[in-house]
Amino acid sequence: MRGVGWLLVLVPLALALVGPLFVPAELTRGAPFAENSSLGTDFVGRDVWHQVLAGGQTVVLVALLATVFSYVLGVPWGVLAAMTRLRIVDEVLMRPLDLLLAVPSLLVLILVAAIAGPGLVVLVGVVALVNFPDVARISRAAALEIAGRPALEAMRLQGETWWRTSIVYTGRSMLRTLAADLGVRLTGALYLVASASFLGVGVAPDAADWAVMVDRNRVGLFLQPWAVVVPALLIVALSVGLNLVFDRALRAEART
Amino acid sequence: MSLRRYAARRLAIGLVQVLAVVTAVFLLVQALPGDAAVALAGDNPDPQRIAQIRAAMGLDRPPLERFGDWLGGLARGDFGVSLISGRPVAEFLHDGLGPTLVLAVLALVLLVPLAVLLGVLAALREGGPVDRVVTTVTVGLHSIPEFALAVVLIALFGVQLRWLPPTAVGADLLGQPAVLVLPLVVLVARPLCSISRLVRAGMIDALASDYVRHARRLGIGVTRVRFAHALPTALAPAVQQVARTTDWLLGGVIVVEAVFVVPGLGTILVDAVAGRDLPVVQGLAVVFAVTTVVVNLVADLLVFRLAPRSVAIA
Repeated sequence: MRGVGWLLVLVPLALALVGPLFVPAELTRGAPFAENSSLGTDFVGRDVWHQVLAGGQTVVLVALLATVFSYVLGVPWGVLAAMTRLRIVDEVLMRPLDLLLAVPSLLVLILVAAIAGPGLVVLVGVVALVNFPDVARISRAAALEIAGRPALEAMRLQGETWWRTSIVYTGRSMLRTLAADLGVRLTGALYLVASASFLGVGVAPDAADWAVMVDRNRVGLFLQPWAVVVPALLIVALSVGLNLVFDRALRAEART
Repeated sequence: MSLRRYAARRLAIGLVQVLAVVTAVFLLVQALPGDAAVALAGDNPDPQRIAQIRAAMGLDRPPLERFGDWLGGLARGDFGVSLISGRPVAEFLHDGLGPTLVLAVLALVLLVPLAVLLGVLAALREGGPVDRVVTTVTVGLHSIPEFALAVVLIALFGVQLRWLPPTAVGADLLGQPAVLVLPLVVLVARPLCSISRLVRAGMIDALASDYVRHARRLGIGVTRVRFAHALPTALAPAVQQVARTTDWLLGGVIVVEAVFVVPGLGTILVDAVAGRDLPVVQGLAVVFAVTTVVVNLVADLLVFRLAPRSVAIA
């Protein structure tokens, strides 16, 4: 079983990262939804295989970047809320996040992307924004537990600096909780990025992107199924594989 | 805290939440580039014509005044009229609610018993082959993008094998149940994983707890201990997740509606944002915020009943 998870991750990942290098400089244009030597052509007559090679990069990179940004924003946010001695600061930091969680994430995505216009930067920003309340909550819960430990109390009594107690010790103790959460965040980001691209949010309508390919080539499903099925299967494989790999790593970690 | 006082407090917080969400959406829609007047003026926008339409719609009035008017109308149950078609927003909501409700109710009816059954089966045979298969499948399918799964299923069952209709274009949802099969499979797949895993974990914890062992020592039968004593506690964490799922289903499942061409709330939302139809977007935001608050309230009260301790401390 171990091999299956890695295989499912590595095939789409390798295609996404190395694929763009193998796309020929001059693209051939043919009739839309026609047969050719490999996977046929898409809705404007581009070679589907070339599109598959070029289209994974955005999905993977946007999901990765968005996850990184949601941690960069969420972890300090949660730690600050947990470590502060003023209750009001905690409330001011955490209450608005409850509201953000009450709005459907795709509604936020559609509205913000409509305001800011298309662009991968916008997509990264919105997905990070949607993911960060959860990261902040988990960080706050983890930091609260650590803040009550006798070890931290002892460090404070010894007169250790704020930097060493609140950042170094707390940060190191939180790593395990955050690492356990990483898999869920990453697949969550992948889910949002792919769904947003599919709905045409934040990407050009003819972009070489697996999710956009699925959307645009759907009309030709009866003529040329590969143009839809191959990118869809790659996204499914990436998502399933990531879940299996992270779950295995977590369980191995729990046993030690 | 008594159940009634708890409910009253949660309801008050919920009202504030609805108001805040609606205000946030109003501000976001205000920030959209272009407005309904620009969208209506067509491909060749003439500034004078746009100004005329704007004045006719009242879009030239200050935003605060419009927001106040709209809130006042809302208090009387008046959602306003669409800027694009002039139809009352309530009609839009009424039209979209039907298909969304059909999908949501059927999905929940399938989802809850199936998730509990899978979770309990896996927990009772912890580590056995059934558990390993169920766990691998539920871990793997967790947070799989619906559109990808949907398209693969359509290609296989709709196009290749021709067993099921590939989309629900123009179909009467309840009159032709065949069109509902694929959307329901896609809708149930993702929440089924998270809920059955929570039930499994809760059941394993409950079966290992002191009170279950005590009940066994008192001579109560295995089946009764499992289903009358362990299961309710095991369900408490899953109830929250069911609430989130219900909320998601009632919020118009935009992607699934788009793939299968179901004219529900999600489709209306996408169209309204594209047309900058502010009153419709606002009306939908009210509906979404209210369902979120109500569903979570019901879930919290249910958890309060199932495992009183967990809420009383918080």
